[in-house]
Amino acid sequence: MTTTRRSLLAGAALAATFAMTPAFGQSPTEIELFFPVPVDGQLARDMATLIKEFNEGHPAIKVTPVYTGSYDETLIKTRAAMKAGKPPAVSIMSANFLRDLQIEGEIQPLDTLIKADGKSNDQFMGQFFPALSGNAVLDRSVYGVPFHNSTPILYINAEHFKEVGLDPENPPKNWAELAAAAAKLTKREGDRVTRWGIAIPSQYDTGGWLLQALTYSNGGRWFNVDYAGEVYYDEPSTLGALTFWSDLVKNKVLQPGVQQNGAVSTAFLSGQASMMLHSTGSLTFVRSNAKFPLKVAFVPKNLQNQVPIGGASLVVPTGVEGERRKAAWTLINWMTSPEKSGWWSRATGYFAPNMQAYELPEMKAFLDKNPDAKVAVDQLAYARPWFATYKTVPVRKAVEDELANVLSGKKSPKEALVAAQKAADEIMKPYVEQTALKLPGSN
Amino acid sequence: MADTIIASQPTPAWRLAIRHPRRKTLVAFGLLAPSLVLLALFTYWPIIQLTWQSLHGQQRVGGPQVYTGLKNFADLVADPAFRKALVNNLIYAFGTVLPSLVLALGFALALARSNRINTVLRSLFFLPVLLPLVAAASIFLFLFLPNVGLLDYYLAKLALSGPNWLGDPDVALWSIMVLTIWKNAGYYMLFFLAGLQAIPADANEAAILEGANPWQRLRYVTLPYLKPTIGFVLVIGLTNVVTQVDHVFVLTKGGPADATNLLLFYVYQQAVENYEPGRAAAGSLAMLGLLLALTAASLRTLERSFGEPES
Repeated sequence: MTTTRRSLLAGAALAATFAMTPAFGQSPTEIELFFPVPVDGQLARDMATLIKEFNEGHPAIKVTPVYTGSYDETLIKTRAAMKAGKPPAVSIMSANFLRDLQIEGEIQPLDTLIKADGKSNDQFMGQFFPALSGNAVLDRSVYGVPFHNSTPILYINAEHFKEVGLDPENPPKNWAELAAAAAKLTKREGDRVTRWGIAIPSQYDTGGWLLQALTYSNGGRWFNVDYAGEVYYDEPSTLGALTFWSDLVKNKVLQPGVQQNGAVSTAFLSGQASMMLHSTGSLTFVRSNAKFPLKVAFVPKNLQNQVPIGGASLVVPTGVEGERRKAAWTLINWMTSPEKSGWWSRATGYFAPNMQAYELPEMKAFLDKNPDAKVAVDQLAYARPWFATYKTVPVRKAVEDELANVLSGKKSPKEALVAAQKAADEIMKPYVEQTALKLPGSN
Repeated sequence: MADTIIASQPTPAWRLAIRHPRRKTLVAFGLLAPSLVLLALFTYWPIIQLTWQSLHGQQRVGGPQVYTGLKNFADLVADPAFRKALVNNLIYAFGTVLPSLVLALGFALALARSNRINTVLRSLFFLPVLLPLVAAASIFLFLFLPNVGLLDYYLAKLALSGPNWLGDPDVALWSIMVLTIWKNAGYYMLFFLAGLQAIPADANEAAILEGANPWQRLRYVTLPYLKPTIGFVLVIGLTNVVTQVDHVFVLTKGGPADATNLLLFYVYQQAVENYEPGRAAAGSLAMLGLLLALTAASLRTLERSFGEPES
């Protein structure tokens, strides 16, 4: 009995000591950063390096980086942490989730923080590539700060090009040239294709993104950037894009059915496909694993050069207040500064959202050494926002399921797009009814 | 006999104490408490929460959760993706449980005799069970890889080309089923091996004396004795096809065009991608009901076969 009481007392004393510590020394503000790694394990170590450097330079703040898996899992874990009343101070969030999070009131506008730094929203966003604003500034408020970004790009096996008499220095610029090159590059043994002219990923997430890219290249709009309740699936520009994609299958230069991201880059790296459309986010990986001379080029156009961005932004969840909020802001500004932005870009292959990053000597040297990375940056001049609506993922899945049907020959492009539009409208209906169709006189 | 031996020794105090009827109940509860607490915390309480959630939803976009009655269940039934997942799950259940059962029985019969070769073979067939499903799926992702995967590699040597194993809506579910069968057959084999050991040798000897051929011995001796094992494996198999979707995550994410969407994966999509916690809860409850019904039916068959007099 006595021992129990004594140990209890000791415990209480110990607890009291801990409780009083902050009163004695200036303890740092502790915050967490939830971060996904969309590509591979190396990036998780790079992130640890980056945060360690931040903590050493900012003794008043202690950031704990928490690896939260994929983009989707990071969304789940951030929401779960918020439900438990313990939101992370900062999350790196897939840029197309911001609209949904804003509609649900789960992330906070950063306007007051920007104002406190003596800047207007336009001045603040002015440091980033203009194409990135559409997914970060919603209803005129800044909800996210771009961290790493990508666009689709055409990867070319220069060896195969030379082999069939094409000039790798003069890559396909439009759809006609792309289709012709793909036909030339495809190799057959009897009926069996031994080398595909081109590979295009069509799995969930990437499929919608690339169909958006082709639709943009065809002059289309794809979705309403200003209003979260409209998509343009059943439109001539989209129909043209989907038909072009489906014709590549019909002409037997692209494998039928859905292709996954990994399968596509493996096919390209192993020489089973001579070209691929893929994210610039894979550039570092592809460059370091290609055993042949690699070339990259803009996504070929039909009517215009235009591609959507991809990537992720830093957000501050609702409920992060006071010192934690200030610390979060310090971290965000540090991570998106030209130096850190550029460092992360060189490590990953994503481009640095901060334009100043490209003025730094180390970045200039890097681009001189890797001209392919420069192509990716140049294409940014033609970039537009990424698809984001009310309930982004299921609305995107509506068209991706139909894309799968077309690529496996189950539906014609027109039938598919009518079905996709109908399914998407059905999902967005609650939002549309409470916004654009909520009129005076109704309730 | 044993009782008299114990009675001849002085009974310890604790033993006397628990013989008291009320104390006996207390002790029983005390012993059950750990698992009861765990069950309550991690099974019963979540079911209550789930039920609450299934009856609530947003009235307004971005608004709070309010009582919506059975709306979530109505939405669930009306959702073509749910119906697709249900049908897929049925095909998947029949297409995986029956073949793995037959295979497992075949393996067990072939390897029933204990010798060195059979021990090695048993371990080989059991090997897939030791792999986590996610790891197994990653291996199959490579096997199924178009053009460069092992499957297509060997087909190419025969001047053949395979379909897009995971990317063709008509083929993908079957590809996934192959993985499930490969993964589970070895596991079920273990139960059948145990069941075979329990068959009295004289039953088979008698059948041989009566002039029964091997097929007749299987049909009239082995299978009737294995009935309880078959029932048990059936319960496990059916539970597995509803509760295991790790491989769907890795291989197809339910695609292409929902061709490999299974109930549990549908629930995940509703909860996470569509942010419809109410519909996800309704889906979970539907799955729970389905599982309970399946288990009850199988258990009843199991009991009946146990209760059967030996003939």
